[in-house]
Amino acid sequence: MDALETARVALVVGFTLLGLFFTFVSMTGVLRLPDVYSRAHTASQADTLGAGFGLAAVALTIGWEAAGVKSVLLLFFIFVTNPTAAHAIARAAFEEGTVPWTEGDERR
Amino acid sequence: MWWVADTDAGSDPTGGEAGDSGDPESDSPSAPTGGLVVPVEPTPTLRAMVAYAVEAAADNGFSTIHLVEIASWRSGDPDADDRASAAERVLERAEAWANSDLDDFDGERPSVTIATKLIGADEYLFGPDDYVQVLAAYAEEHGADTVLLDPEYTPVGNTTLLQPLEFALSNTSLSVETAPVTRPTRRERLRSEATGKRFVAMFGFSLAFYLVLGDPFYWFDWVTGIATAAIVSITLSRVSIDAEPAIPRTPMRVFRGLIYVPILLFEIVKANVEVARVILDPRLPIEPTMNRMRVIVGSGLPLMTLANSITLTPGTLTVRARDSDLYVHSLIPASRDGLFDGSLERWTRFVYYGRSSARLPTPRERDDCAILQGPDATEELPIAAADGGTSSADGGGSSAAADSAVASGDEKRADRGKREAAEVADE
Amino acid sequence: MSVVDATLVAGYTVGDFLLLAAAGFTVLAIGMLYRAVKGPTMQDRVLAVNVLGTNTVVILAILSAALSEPTFLDIALVYALLNFLMAIAISKFTVERGGVL
Repeated sequence: MDALETARVALVVGFTLLGLFFTFVSMTGVLRLPDVYSRAHTASQADTLGAGFGLAAVALTIGWEAAGVKSVLLLFFIFVTNPTAAHAIARAAFEEGTVPWTEGDERR
Repeated sequence: MWWVADTDAGSDPTGGEAGDSGDPESDSPSAPTGGLVVPVEPTPTLRAMVAYAVEAAADNGFSTIHLVEIASWRSGDPDADDRASAAERVLERAEAWANSDLDDFDGERPSVTIATKLIGADEYLFGPDDYVQVLAAYAEEHGADTVLLDPEYTPVGNTTLLQPLEFALSNTSLSVETAPVTRPTRRERLRSEATGKRFVAMFGFSLAFYLVLGDPFYWFDWVTGIATAAIVSITLSRVSIDAEPAIPRTPMRVFRGLIYVPILLFEIVKANVEVARVILDPRLPIEPTMNRMRVIVGSGLPLMTLANSITLTPGTLTVRARDSDLYVHSLIPASRDGLFDGSLERWTRFVYYGRSSARLPTPRERDDCAILQGPDATEELPIAAADGGTSSADGGGSSAAADSAVASGDEKRADRGKREAAEVADE
Repeated sequence: MSVVDATLVAGYTVGDFLLLAAAGFTVLAIGMLYRAVKGPTMQDRVLAVNVLGTNTVVILAILSAALSEPTFLDIALVYALLNFLMAIAISKFTVERGGVL
């Protein structure tokens, strides 16, 4: 195995672990945070770096093929649509009159 | 007739103080010989509009016809000069038409003055209310009391503004009339160059997307791809693309967008690490607040880019966009400060308007931001439940919980003080 | 030889590691499921399901790489699309008046 291959394998492993870490942080946040708005913040972590590193690892594994291009496209698509979805959800909560949690409120 | 009420107020075609075209009767808004304000756009019905306006003015003794073009851009945008001169050309042409109509009038030439003006270029206009505000200010300044609308008047992209405009105008003291002109044939728009460009852009984009997903070296994918791209661009080219693709501008925007991507990624990573540290902290030192920020980007795609970038960055979340006011929820004070420093706003302006337009004061310096919640709140939260009866969840919980919250709050503040000191030391 | 078959440690390949990572993502997804079941408001549930969906997309992509099945990526793409539509549609319809988009 040449040096380039070793570096590629190391990057794949590193990116996957980073993706797992940020998805873990996001899960912790979704479980711990007190209201829907703050949960939406940490949900965007899973969307950005969790999915970002995971899909980067996939693209690196597959390499320069049609499928690799497709995984980059997938990443781009997630980056465009997920904030829009998060915004729609937060806006729905806002229109229903959910007051954002502040210090001293009960968690819900 | 809609102008009869004005006629008996004493409109005298010969005695009208015609005034110079720049500023007629500005100090007498209630002058009997009112003006007629005609918002102008290069519509297919513009010629008929001008003819109708001249006829109406001559019949009913309006002393001045104000042909105004409302700018949908903001001066300082890189292409603002080009668009302003294009607008000036439209105004000149309309003025020439009006003058020749006046000369051709049966009998002697009515004493109607034509004034042209480009208005509203000093700020971005969002929606009909902003347009009406600009229009009403102009009308008051020049003592005009009637607005004549073109049924084809669509200043912002594809949005039909006529009905919202009529509604918003009904709240002012101006009287409104829609000119009874119709476009020659409906088919003209489909044949026009404008839609052609959009069609081509949409077609190319969807075909490229299809071939990336499929196999670009297989003839069957080309056949199905062309068919689907044609369907997509026929149905959606006028919906999806609201600005005309232009040759130097659109590729430049794409290029600058490519520069923006790594910068946005860097911001995202930075914010992610910050937020991850807060979430994994056992004390959970969050301080969520709702904030309002007035941004200086155009409506449509630029605003969407900015709002999406803000949401994509962990720690800030766009909850509502009301015209140019963004309601942003922030998780920790650090991300709120980053938001008020406006670096994403500057980058969005860089992508859409170029480097020279990216230099502008931060929202904090412009005083365009406000915190809506918590101890530093400066404005009310625009939400029904907030000023009405508080729900049980907002009551504050048990006193013990409140005490611990206060205690942890103090601790947090001390913590933040330390962090700020560290930041100062870094600089 | 592709990267998937490269040996990582003690005879295990990168493909095996990716399968393990997919299992890890699945465990995290089950954690999110708690919020989707409990979440006091409808928006909490939608948000949790949305994050779950993104997670599923990543899992599908990783499986596609680990098992050398490129068609899984197409399924992931369609899943991402449906996930987006789901979030938009539900947030639109949970608001009684006005609408979201």
